[in-house]
Amino acid sequence: MLGKIFGVLCLISLIFAIFTGNIEALGSAVLDGAASAVQVLLSLCGMMCLWCGMMQVLSQAGLIRRLAKLLSPLLRIFFPTAYRTGEGIEEISANISANLLGIGNAATPFALRAMEQMQKHNPIPEKADPEQITLAVLNTASVSLIPANLLALRRAAGSENPYAVMIPVWVVSLLCAGMSLLLTSLPRWFDRILHKRNDRENSHG
Amino acid sequence: MAETLSALAMPLVVVLVGMIFLFGKKDYFDAFTRGATDGLHTTVKLLPTLVALMVAVSMLNASGAVTMLSELLSPLASAIGIPSELLPLLVTRPFSGSASTAAYSALLDSVGADSFAGLCASVIFGSSDTVVYVIAVYFSSVNIRKTRWAFPCAFAVMLFCIFFSCFFCRLWFF
Repeated sequence: MLGKIFGVLCLISLIFAIFTGNIEALGSAVLDGAASAVQVLLSLCGMMCLWCGMMQVLSQAGLIRRLAKLLSPLLRIFFPTAYRTGEGIEEISANISANLLGIGNAATPFALRAMEQMQKHNPIPEKADPEQITLAVLNTASVSLIPANLLALRRAAGSENPYAVMIPVWVVSLLCAGMSLLLTSLPRWFDRILHKRNDRENSHG
Repeated sequence: MAETLSALAMPLVVVLVGMIFLFGKKDYFDAFTRGATDGLHTTVKLLPTLVALMVAVSMLNASGAVTMLSELLSPLASAIGIPSELLPLLVTRPFSGSASTAAYSALLDSVGADSFAGLCASVIFGSSDTVVYVIAVYFSSVNIRKTRWAFPCAFAVMLFCIFFSCFFCRLWFF
């Protein structure tokens, strides 16, 4: 997929460059792009190194476990089957806690293991289970309390106050996470209400 | 108050880890170096992809395509309250982390990290993720082909994220 993105971007650039007469600018853009990739990487490197180390310490000290315990009432509402069967629920809470702490690398394996566990209770294996959908969509809108790479990039770009965006990021990402939980649970809730009504009608008839 | 809180969050975590080093029962510094090495590896492994995509984004900027499309879209963009400079970031964000990192840092370089567009981009970059990539990886790992309402919901949330980020930035910073 990345190759295709690259190809499309190059094609658009070439067409526009011919169109606007910026063809010489393309040459220096190639040189600049390659050089600035290294600059971006260098500005990310220190932060990523520090932060992944810090997060490893926190998870070794049991912070993920403690956070996961705090989350359990919330999980009962949005992952009822996993909660009832106990299968996948630990992985789900570990995934959410790791995301909160900003350890994306650790979060993904937890989520994949949770998907596997939830698959056991999926009546139609090639069709996504509602709770699996909730987990996947929640991970596309993850709340991270300290977006370390964002801060590093802002600093590298010469921001006077890299931290200024923290509170807006918290507010927006919390709302987005809440929204993804609600939106993906709606079909499941409707389904349950309909089922209940059908059951009642059947018992009357 | 808000300023102090956001500036303190990161140093507080660092101090907390320092306290764990001081008073923890185990030697936690090992864990630190292990995690840091992992972080370093992941970042360095990013370089080849980042080089390719930074070159592509830089070519796109130099060709005048971004300026032209931004100008073309700016009446629409200002009507809905989203700076038109965000276009490359918004297009790449759902697909790839490195492509959107490239678009984001190119954007910060051209409009400035503390400009309105730069702040909006930062909030969007910090509170959204690579929707298509995440959902594809999650469901293909368990061989699910019918993802049902996963994509519609994820894109609805992303759209909300984009609009709300810009709205909130206007409210918060200006």
